[in-house]
Amino acid sequence: MANRRVLVKRRKTARNIRKITRTMQLISTARLQKFHGRAVASKPYTEKLAELVADLTRAGAGTDHPLLAERSGSGGAAVLVVSSNRGLCGGYNSNVLRLGVEHLDHLAGEGRATDVHVVGKKGTSYFEFLGREMDRRTTDISDFPAFDQVEPIANDFLERFAAGTLDSVDVVFTRFISAGKQVPTVERLLPLAAQVADDGEAVGPTLEYEFSPEPRQLLDELLPASFRIRLFQAFVDSAVSEQVARMVAMKAATDAAGDMIKRLTQQYNRARQTSITMELLDIVGGANALS
Amino acid sequence: MASFHCSVVTPERVVLETEARFVALPAHDGEVGILPGRAPLLVALGVGRLRVQSADGEQVLLVDGGFAEMSGTKLTILTEGARRPEELDLGEAEQEFEDARELPMLTDAEFEARQRALARARAARKLAR
Repeated sequence: MANRRVLVKRRKTARNIRKITRTMQLISTARLQKFHGRAVASKPYTEKLAELVADLTRAGAGTDHPLLAERSGSGGAAVLVVSSNRGLCGGYNSNVLRLGVEHLDHLAGEGRATDVHVVGKKGTSYFEFLGREMDRRTTDISDFPAFDQVEPIANDFLERFAAGTLDSVDVVFTRFISAGKQVPTVERLLPLAAQVADDGEAVGPTLEYEFSPEPRQLLDELLPASFRIRLFQAFVDSAVSEQVARMVAMKAATDAAGDMIKRLTQQYNRARQTSITMELLDIVGGANALS
Repeated sequence: MASFHCSVVTPERVVLETEARFVALPAHDGEVGILPGRAPLLVALGVGRLRVQSADGEQVLLVDGGFAEMSGTKLTILTEGARRPEELDLGEAEQEFEDARELPMLTDAEFEARQRALARARAARKLAR
């Protein structure tokens, strides 16, 4: 029976796919744990640095620092969109990319000249598909970003910001809040003003520090370091979120394949029973005709 | 014996966490020694050796820039590059040194970049030996 053979074939295909998606699910579960551990390991540095910046700004080291000062906002606006290199991770890429495009349109609507930097193969191909301009693209960031890989990107932004070709730097990425919640976010990284004010509130009374070199010069080094780590955090959050998204997507795919196999098995059994019944009827009918 | 808490953190991990009796750190303008009970200090780091003496011996790290904060009984060293001597390779360090010597020095900025690269390579070479 042609119908039965087709059913067997389809069931086999579904089984193979389930095998693959289940493996991918297990892999991303393992990687998620690893990445999450590494993300947590980078927290102490971030927190301490924010604390130092807050301490220093309150010690009166000029809020007029070029990296802190809000600019008129007519110059170039850089937008960095962080997507992944691999697919099969549900809505992860489309969510963050949609937000990125929205943000770019918003900036363009304000009459800003945008400078677009897209990270990840998925992002670059999406922008190509839309026919949008990309000023820079990076596709060689590993699954879990190393600080060395993010640093050159950060330094490039800092240089152009200092030179005055950029008036703001935004990053669009997927913020990892918990294993159950990841949100595509736009964050303004330069100028740093807004965040410094926020961080300053939480810290307790300051000690009378001895500074070397002068607070102002320290800030010259601290602020770029703070920017670099913020950018790095955005990459780290994205990497962890990607694994969560892939894990969830692959679990859904595995479950769906399981349901499909069940349905196909039922159909196959029914078809088999029908054909047996038919054959029996034939035999009985033939025997009756003879007698 | 009096001691204080010393931790070395990079953007990627906590490299070292120990109770120390004495720490010598490479500040931007020379080496700074820290003993328990030191007054609060915030200092920018240069390139060089970080020595941490604790109850179970001395540990050495190569530090490349960053900051050190001493407050009360805690010393925190934030750096974007901290490597253990075991992770360094003499051949690689020599190569880095040669590369650094090849850098142009036509402008002030280039000269400074070259000086930094040289200092980094020199420190790595010294520690790798």
